[in-house]
Amino acid sequence: MQERLSFYKKRESAVHRLNPLSKLTLALGIVFVSFLSPYYWTPHLLILFAVIPLSLLGKVLREYINAMLRLILPTAGFLFIMQALFQPLEGVELFRFGFLHPTQESVLFAFANATRIVVMVSSFTIFLLTTHPNELMTDLTRRGLPGQFAYVIISTLQIIPQMQAKAQTIIAAQRSRGLDTESTFFKRAGSLIPLVGPLVFGSLVEVEERAIAIEARGFTSTRVKTSLNSIPDTNKDKLIRWSLIVIIIVTLASRIWLS
Amino acid sequence: MSIISENAVYFIIAVAIIVILLVWSYVTGRMRKDFSTTTWVLIPVAIAINIAIGQIVVTLKLPVFLDSIGTVLVAVVAGPWAGALTGTLSNIIWGATIDPNAFPWFPVAFFIGLVSGLMANAGWFKNWWKVAVTGFVVALASAIVSTPIAVYLYGGITASGSSFITAYLLQTGQGVVQAVLSTGFLVEPVDKITTAMLAFAIIQGLSKRFVARLPRPENAEVEGGASQTQLFIAIGVVILLVLFAAFMLGNILGG
Amino acid sequence: MAIVNLQNVTYRYPLTDESVLKNINLQVDEGEFLAVIGPNGSGKSTLCYTLAGFVPHFFKGEISGSVEVAGLESSASTLDEWVMNVGLAFQNPFNQISGAKFTVFEEIAFGLENIGVPREEMKPRVEDAMKLTGITDLADRSPYSLSGGQQQRVALTSILVMQPKVLVLDEPTSQLDPIGTREVFGVIRTLAEKGMTVILAEHKVEWIANFADRVIALHEGQIILDGLPGEVLTSDILLEKGFGISRYTSVARKARAIGLWKNSNLPVTLDEAVDGFKR
Ligand SMILES: Nc1ncnc2c1ncn2[C@@H]1O[C@H](COP(=O)(O)OP(=O)(O)OP(=O)(O)O)[C@@H](O)[C@H]1O
Ligand SMILES: [Mg+2]
Repeated sequence: MQERLSFYKKRESAVHRLNPLSKLTLALGIVFVSFLSPYYWTPHLLILFAVIPLSLLGKVLREYINAMLRLILPTAGFLFIMQALFQPLEGVELFRFGFLHPTQESVLFAFANATRIVVMVSSFTIFLLTTHPNELMTDLTRRGLPGQFAYVIISTLQIIPQMQAKAQTIIAAQRSRGLDTESTFFKRAGSLIPLVGPLVFGSLVEVEERAIAIEARGFTSTRVKTSLNSIPDTNKDKLIRWSLIVIIIVTLASRIWLS
Repeated sequence: MSIISENAVYFIIAVAIIVILLVWSYVTGRMRKDFSTTTWVLIPVAIAINIAIGQIVVTLKLPVFLDSIGTVLVAVVAGPWAGALTGTLSNIIWGATIDPNAFPWFPVAFFIGLVSGLMANAGWFKNWWKVAVTGFVVALASAIVSTPIAVYLYGGITASGSSFITAYLLQTGQGVVQAVLSTGFLVEPVDKITTAMLAFAIIQGLSKRFVARLPRPENAEVEGGASQTQLFIAIGVVILLVLFAAFMLGNILGG
Repeated sequence: MAIVNLQNVTYRYPLTDESVLKNINLQVDEGEFLAVIGPNGSGKSTLCYTLAGFVPHFFKGEISGSVEVAGLESSASTLDEWVMNVGLAFQNPFNQISGAKFTVFEEIAFGLENIGVPREEMKPRVEDAMKLTGITDLADRSPYSLSGGQQQRVALTSILVMQPKVLVLDEPTSQLDPIGTREVFGVIRTLAEKGMTVILAEHKVEWIANFADRVIALHEGQIILDGLPGEVLTSDILLEKGFGISRYTSVARKARAIGLWKNSNLPVTLDEAVDGFKR
């Protein structure tokens, strides 16, 4: 039984095999280029020539399309419509409906903006789909991130499903005792405390014992930490990272000099 | 171009202030004390509280987010940096598990933690009306920090419901920055004051023993006074703050 | 040779007025198995925390007297050094899972990572520890998907893998069902047989009678009895002071009152009771 802790999908693929830091640089690189590039079509081209190929290469196309339909397109679509209609840009008026008078410029602006958001969220999604949180944290810890960060990230990922299960139990229990989660605003607002109280206090009282437990395992030890798993970092990875850094700098420069 | 460079100056100043504060709390050793093992264990719990309550609020269809109660809680009992870290990681984890759209907003969460921690250090988390003021200040910070993100990343109109207000203000001829900032000032206070008050209620419910072993028990010491009077003062303060916000909004929009 | 040596230890938690440990004197030899019994609130957990260094290093508060365990002096050492030498496991198995790891194998290695054991050494140590506690087959499971008894054995393994010189166990089975309890006591027996120094706070006197070399009884922060299990666990004083006692002891005591129990010693376990009544 594998609980869903993050978007990660276990696969054998070239992208999965990359070093997590390389993947992170790749994801951030794509985002930076799409936001910084001075050319109008950059984000659109990035989707075609970076995002989609990466999802294919990482064998997560289906999951990516799924996330696209569920999370990315609704947001981007809403964004596009709102901005196309309401962004008061001067230019060729397309039509007039009441107080709305979208222009060609506002539609183009909205399209580029929405695409950039699609690129950003897509690139994060593919990163998450192909990177196990444990690998990422192990690698970052090895590179000098304090071990406590790995602890926080991973234990949060494990606490959340427990907490959600607890929340569901509490909601169900309170409902059966006639708690109101449906009717008027004030009744619903009044329901908040009996729901939140047990959840919060229940998890806070455990904190002390859990702190003792990890202290007993050397959590605050001042020795240099080691790690059980080794995360491969090949020359290819280094090449990828350095090229991305160059690409980002070039984009930044072109942004400054060309616009 | 000139507008960008002017904003870049603000940005650099803000970052510089944060770095100075950071270095200062590191050098004075306060940071070490704040990040005790108990704090490190508390942070994941607080993040989970943020996310769980955020989702319960959605279930109850309430018109607020209340997704930073845990952040404020940590900020009060373990200091501004622990709060800032809780906020930031909360956002990143929300992004990594629920909706990647959350990622770019992490600076807002960072400042919610930082500002509520600073307010608590200054003694503004000790009774109901002070907590209301803290909530209001946090709301201002949150509105200010989210503005550049909304403007640069989203071109002003974001994917949240409140962007209808922004859209309306844009239609009335307001500049993008004014419109976004005013929207923030309109919607944030209710959410952040409620958040601060709920965090306060939680802290009051914790046992003295437990609080005593956290890094900053002095921030959570409740000031005396009948709680009913306190509550009335708090309500009065909230009304004053709302009037003040309305006044500021008038100024922004007029100017 | 005494590996634990407490001299006149008195301790008070912060924000409280009353001492929880009062004038404790306790020596434990290397390889000895000591059980600690006592009613609720008598200070068993506090004593365990003291032996494991958490009192006063984690809990703060006021301590007097001298605490020496495994060659460390409490006032002169840090918690960090302490946990390298003294292992602690306690009641709630769930809270002892670090949360930092996704599999049991990684969970057990967590402590070794923290104290900087080289990777080549880590794997064999984890494997050996798992073999010792019989959880090799759980290696790839998520620690959160396990039963209470399994989790408690993972917690014990996670401590054992750090090779402590003294093992302190605070009611490790109080939240487990009978199956889990048996599993955990199975592990404790193995450790005792291997000559580990174990200090076990425990309510379940029948189990204690099976393992312990020696028992102390705590009452309101003081050691009121100290001796062999057969003597301490059947002492009349326990009855007066409201300790939990074995039902076999109670039965035999009643039987003795009406002349049915003829032995001089009272039984603690079922076997002893059966033996006694046979005669
Ligand atoms: N953190 C604390 N701060 C203040 N007092 C405490 C703390 N922990 C325990 N005490 C008090 O110290 C006394 C001894 O507690 P302790 O937990 O050591 O008893 P115990 O024998 O382990 O009890 P139990 O059988 O319930 O586990 C109790 O009166 C308890 O209320
Ligand atoms: Mg106890």
